[in-house]
Amino acid sequence: MRLLLALFALSVALAQDAGPTHADWPSYGGSDFSWRYSALDQINTGNVKSLAPVWMFQTGDYAENLQATPIVEDGVLYLITARARVFALDAATGREIWNYRYPDPPRAVPGFVGNRGLAVGDGKVFFGTKDDYLVALDQKTGRMMWRVNIDDARQCGCNITAAPLVVKDKVIVGGTGGDGAHRGYLTAFSTSNGHLAWRWYVVPGPGEKGHETWKGDSWIFGGGAPWLTGSYDPALNLLYWGTGNAAADFYDAERVPSGADKNKNLNLYTASVVALDPDTGKLRWFHQEVPGDIWDYDSAYEVLLMDLQIRGRTRQALVHMNKSGLTSVLDRTNGELLGVFSVPEVRTWVTGITEDGKLVGRNEPQLGKATAICPSAAGAKSWNSMAYSPRTGLIYVPVNELCNDITPNNRPAEEGQNYMNGEFPIRLIPGRATNSHLDAWDPATGKRVWSMPYKYVLLASMLATAGNLVFTGNPEGDFFALDAASGNKLWSFQTGAGHRGASVAYSVNGREYIATSTGWHSSVVGGAVQALFPDQDWRLGSSMVVFALPESSK
Amino acid sequence: MMRPLLLLLAGAALACAQDSAGLVKQGEQVFAKTCATGYCHGARGSSAGAPRLAARGFNQAYIAGVVVRGIPNTGMQGFAGRLPDTDLAAVISYVAALNGVVNPTSGLGGPAATGSAEPQLTGEAARGALLFRQALRGFGRCSTCHEVGGFGISVASPIAQLPASVDALKALATPNVKTATLESESMPVLVLSDGKQGAQFYDLSATPPVQCNALPGSVKFSAGSSWRHTSAITAYSDAELSAILAYLHAVIQP
Repeated sequence: MRLLLALFALSVALAQDAGPTHADWPSYGGSDFSWRYSALDQINTGNVKSLAPVWMFQTGDYAENLQATPIVEDGVLYLITARARVFALDAATGREIWNYRYPDPPRAVPGFVGNRGLAVGDGKVFFGTKDDYLVALDQKTGRMMWRVNIDDARQCGCNITAAPLVVKDKVIVGGTGGDGAHRGYLTAFSTSNGHLAWRWYVVPGPGEKGHETWKGDSWIFGGGAPWLTGSYDPALNLLYWGTGNAAADFYDAERVPSGADKNKNLNLYTASVVALDPDTGKLRWFHQEVPGDIWDYDSAYEVLLMDLQIRGRTRQALVHMNKSGLTSVLDRTNGELLGVFSVPEVRTWVTGITEDGKLVGRNEPQLGKATAICPSAAGAKSWNSMAYSPRTGLIYVPVNELCNDITPNNRPAEEGQNYMNGEFPIRLIPGRATNSHLDAWDPATGKRVWSMPYKYVLLASMLATAGNLVFTGNPEGDFFALDAASGNKLWSFQTGAGHRGASVAYSVNGREYIATSTGWHSSVVGGAVQALFPDQDWRLGSSMVVFALPESSK
Repeated sequence: MMRPLLLLLAGAALACAQDSAGLVKQGEQVFAKTCATGYCHGARGSSAGAPRLAARGFNQAYIAGVVVRGIPNTGMQGFAGRLPDTDLAAVISYVAALNGVVNPTSGLGGPAATGSAEPQLTGEAARGALLFRQALRGFGRCSTCHEVGGFGISVASPIAQLPASVDALKALATPNVKTATLESESMPVLVLSDGKQGAQFYDLSATPPVQCNALPGSVKFSAGSSWRHTSAITAYSDAELSAILAYLHAVIQP
């Protein structure tokens, strides 16, 4: 018994060690547990007032803002811009070490310009492109080593905007296309030579389990594209990923088998969290968060792996939010649902959620009629990540209170073309003085601990640190630090351009740095919400702004 | 650049044959399906994610230019070659009408041109076109390595000569495939360049092929290889390969 207890304690300790980052920021979500939490505490609630900029880097690529989370390794910061220009910078000074410019794809390549990050591993820098290549650069020199095409963007209507994830000897990447007539997938390649390792289709084909949840041939264009970045638990050897919505988004008569129970798993494995074997790409378990989704509530977002005390027991859990703001707490060893809570203040798509995750009072848009649905398809939270601090035990979540009036249509699918099957003008909620809030939630209890309201919208990722601080930015250009325990604003700096990217913490030679990307503008959600505030002129840009304490006050 | 232009002119000619109201009505349908969707321009150009287009004071020439060529470095791509020519003309008229242009035309102008570069495919050839790039086959489809008709990845050089039969397709000689030796490894490759800057080649030992960039002097190429075209087309039955050949014969001029 004592030995068992000791082993259990050890495994928990390992899990808690794997979550925080230290001197480096090695992965898109910080660590492969995706906490966006740094164990550095040189900058803390006591001294953050003195935080000051130490260097800036202008990428010169102002096309579609700087969305990417940088990677920091051994004092070098790696950065990618919207049009896949890659930079290696001295993380202490901003001096450019090398740069690589991916050739602009021909104009005929459809899709959105944007890139949310790169990955570093096996001596290489990996990133995806608009024309659907996975590219490997030499980490030391920036020389292109190899690239491999994952699809024809002109045909699939899909692109790679997500950061890849390196797991052992493989690099794994998802793509967009969940709103088009396309069948989503994850693809894994060998980090050494780019050889295909496996592909996992979100939508199972004939003869595969789950195929029966699709009507007729609808699986062929069933969507589900996993368009962001997953997580990895080395102790369990499980890869976790969120999947996109089923297509068509707002009209389900072509994809739901007749007589199907919408409370049960439907159109698998869309709108789900899945656990895969990273060596083979085989599905180990899944949890569908929005069965019978008809609101474009993707589950493609980040997956946070953490150990939680739930009903008196330590559980190896994961925490995951989808676009609706429903947040699931699962046992990450087997997918068992441990808890679920809804984050937005205004919710009209369901009247409630039972403890075992069943949706109550579904408000389904009807063909040809406008139905007011809150939150909007832009998401109660957009794709920008939340953060988790093990010191407070809280997750930090930017939440937008927007609605859309969904009018479904039944246009037939055309390969690679938009297949949302609906109009969904996004609008403000009348009578609200604030349209978003930055929240701290306790994932173990599903209770909101504090909330900071904000006038416009919050679309930048969160960063938490052991200095008991939470950092993020807003579209007006303010980059700010809150007390992680109370939500009190302790520091703010006007960076000159709106925030739609991410911030990270790292250290070089014992000095802690906080780096943030800046630059508003996006033809997708950012643009849609900016149209709601026509008097605002949130500024474009594409710069890294990096802060530290003055040398004398550290 | 030449082909899209010709197509557009052909489209303009077709558009002129219609009355303005009919064109606008057709454009309304194209717009609803293509431009109002997703996070783009919204119903009747009222704006969703992308800018509002209604009542902006745009003139017809500007609208035509943006629809055809797009706006660089934004989400607005050019639709030349992506929409049928008649739809292009119609949607330009519709957006012009949204901006108060009276009796809008396609706005493309120019002399009438006739004919289309793409032959209409029927029967076996049409089936072959779909098979050639069928997404369900993943990396087993022809378009993984061949670009034809605006689809596919041009790993191989453009197809110039066509085998007469399925048997000939299977026995296809591939003299361009060489053997590369890197360190102790050797692999079948298609060489793109080999010079002072290093060598660029496709590694054909994997599917999809990997485009590699080797440092100068790090790789040696020798003629011949163990690679066979027949092993790259195993995803298709003989009947399917026959349809694909019919397609290629229809679109590739010897």
